[in-house]
Amino acid sequence: MIKSIDISTSALVAQRTRLNAISGNIANISSIKDENGDAKPYKARQVIFQTDDEMTTTGASGVKVSEVKTDEAEPLYRYQPNHPLAIKDGKWAGYVAYPNIDLTTQMVDAMESTRAYEANIGVMEITKSLGRETLSILA
Amino acid sequence: MRISVQPIPRPASLVAPPRPASPFQTGATVGASNTFADLLAGQVKQVNQMQSGADSAMQSLLTGGDVNEAEVLTAVQKADLAFRMLLQVRNKLMEAYREVQQIQI
Amino acid sequence: MLGVLQNNTLTALEQTLSFAQKRHELLTGNVANLDTPGYRARDLDVGDFQNALAESLESARKPSPVDGARPVTRDDILRGPRSAMEQVVFHDGSDVSLEHQVTEISKNQHLHNLAITTMRSQFSLLRAAITERA
Repeated sequence: MIKSIDISTSALVAQRTRLNAISGNIANISSIKDENGDAKPYKARQVIFQTDDEMTTTGASGVKVSEVKTDEAEPLYRYQPNHPLAIKDGKWAGYVAYPNIDLTTQMVDAMESTRAYEANIGVMEITKSLGRETLSILA
Repeated sequence: MRISVQPIPRPASLVAPPRPASPFQTGATVGASNTFADLLAGQVKQVNQMQSGADSAMQSLLTGGDVNEAEVLTAVQKADLAFRMLLQVRNKLMEAYREVQQIQI
Repeated sequence: MLGVLQNNTLTALEQTLSFAQKRHELLTGNVANLDTPGYRARDLDVGDFQNALAESLESARKPSPVDGARPVTRDDILRGPRSAMEQVVFHDGSDVSLEHQVTEISKNQHLHNLAITTMRSQFSLLRAAITERA
């Protein structure tokens, strides 16, 4: 029973990490400068899940975040020649680079993550109830 | 669409045994015996039968047999109660015996 | 004297309980990996367990049926035609259907509670016999 709770917890942690990444993406949807102040638009972060087989010995496994990938898609360019951060020369002269983050995709992702979170909480409740029933053999 | 419903055959182990007669009735239902001792022995045997019937029904349920869960649990409960009733009867008898023993002649 | 504590039904109940708990772990792992790409849902076959239990009860030899239970994925099972819905694999390669898992968890919970309740009643009966108090 205890291991089942560990497995559910691993899922909760993974989904929370994913939700944090999504929040970061949405918060920075208009960030055209990165954390050092350079004119690099924000790149979306994506969380990759992986089955965590070291969790238990009975064949059940939890989940872990294997890496947080940075999306290498091209930024969106908008023509704003009078903007202080407009590109000076090259193919994109006069354009400003914006992050290539689609709000709808992020929101759907967030909803899916929430649903998975709730499902795992539900399973955890059942695990607790099974544990309580098992204790009642004694009492 | 025609649906035909077949009655499910009852497994032999779940056929209800005859209702245990109260030990204070004259024992016409328990074979051709008239002594109280025979009566009691008959009841013990019956309770034992109920217990083993309930046991095998339970095992059948756990191994995926063709039994109805409600029937099995009822059989277990009945066997349980029959045993406890017999136990109480036995306790009363012991009490009565001790009382009789203490009668001063 | 303690043979009364080793009767067949009690053993069968213990095995069933153990099986139900192992299966719950597996199913929990499935729900945890709901969004993991490429994951295959795992389950313990109830029918197989019950057959093994029946055999071990008959022969009264006790290789534990629970130890023989190995998790199976759908890819392992090569038996005959299967319903179309069971073939569904979602876009990210995972085949975990949340509704199906939750159903299996519920059924397993029912089996678990059945075993526990029956075990309690067995122990209570034994205790009544021992203390002579019905």
